[in-house]
Amino acid sequence: MTLYERLGGEPAFQAAVDDFYRRMLTDERVSRFFDNVDMDGQIAKQKAFLTYVTGGPAAYTGKDMRKAHEHLWSKGLGDEHVDVVIEHLGATLIDLGAKAEDVAEVAELAESVRKDVLGR
Amino acid sequence: MNPDRTARPAEPSSAIHLKGRTIPLAAGESVLEGLERAGIEAPSGCRAGTCCKCMLQGEDPPAMSQRSLRPTLRAQGFFLACQAYPIGTLELSSGEAPEPIDTVIQSVEAVAPDVARILLRPEDSFAFRPGQYLDVLHPSGALRSYSIASLPSDQVLELHVRRIANGLVSSWIHEQNEGQRVQIRGPFGQCFHVADDEQKRLLLVGAGTGLAPLLGIARDALEQGHKGSIKLVHGGLQPDRLYMRPQLSELAETWPNLEVEHCVLREATEQEHEGPLDQVAIRLAGSLENTRAFLCGDAEIVRLLQRSLFLAGISSAEMFADPFSPASP
Repeated sequence: MTLYERLGGEPAFQAAVDDFYRRMLTDERVSRFFDNVDMDGQIAKQKAFLTYVTGGPAAYTGKDMRKAHEHLWSKGLGDEHVDVVIEHLGATLIDLGAKAEDVAEVAELAESVRKDVLGR
Repeated sequence: MNPDRTARPAEPSSAIHLKGRTIPLAAGESVLEGLERAGIEAPSGCRAGTCCKCMLQGEDPPAMSQRSLRPTLRAQGFFLACQAYPIGTLELSSGEAPEPIDTVIQSVEAVAPDVARILLRPEDSFAFRPGQYLDVLHPSGALRSYSIASLPSDQVLELHVRRIANGLVSSWIHEQNEGQRVQIRGPFGQCFHVADDEQKRLLLVGAGTGLAPLLGIARDALEQGHKGSIKLVHGGLQPDRLYMRPQLSELAETWPNLEVEHCVLREATEQEHEGPLDQVAIRLAGSLENTRAFLCGDAEIVRLLQRSLFLAGISSAEMFADPFSPASP
């Protein structure tokens, strides 16, 4: 059973994505990257991200990830911001009922996305 | 033995019907798989009901295939093809743009210095949900979108049109007279009332002509017997920009669960609250428990309202926004 399924699948992640996005919007270290974005589109993308990193069914590719972030490279998007995302991801999953070892596993998977987010 | 009976293949138990073509579905085959097998181009992604790339529209699709969609999409028959295992024949929409229809202008009434309330009588049937929008077609071929403030039972389409400086379509429509013909097409949009919970609190916030869809949504909810509180907050720069106040007061007097509030950025009198619309709306809303929000107006203010109400606690799934974008010149 994947972590995605153990945490309650799609209905649980619908609520979790709101929690995750609220954390990002209220964190001054990263909130500026979300100015003037279409919120419905953001929620859909972040839900796909949460689904992907917890082993759920997601149509997620590195190419999409690069494309979604390339306009932020000139705005100073860097490793420290990816760290913030991984931090909030962990907190969201813990609130959803994940165990520490699950979060470590997810963080490892999220880590593999770093090079695409930062265009390396 | 009757050869006619044996020769005829068994009626398929599941099928999809699209543009005059029937595609039978094998047992356990989804609509998406059926379309692909028939060689019909159908976008897809996760194939597990999360990414929504395979969303299609049809008549009465299986409930399971609509589970993760917003109520407005469900109400219009949208569903996920990868999750759809229909019983019987599922009729798919062709996905073509609606044809233009003729309307006749019933009245053009100035309701604010730069806003006209336009009533159009459609000459053909025009099914819509209040709060959706339509395109007005200018004789040059240009088109502009306006939200619908009336109900189907009114038998007229009410639009609120702000005159834009050098605006081709808005200036033209402001100068039309009763009896003249105007072509429209539509409807479009996902910002309308769905009667899925009559106790839900409805918070309707809009700036300028964002009032038009909100008026339609509020009246629609009330006429459909909504029981929960409905709070409509109309915002503008200063008091003279807020229009149709007598009609709004009358509506609030008729319906005890409707409250109408006015908000301006400056020069407030006793009739208006003063301050940024998002902050005033959150303060007036009180509890945001079990609340659905409808947010309408220029794109910039709608984005601000969406973000502020989301951070104040309304779930993203319960926010319906209709940001107006300026036409490209």
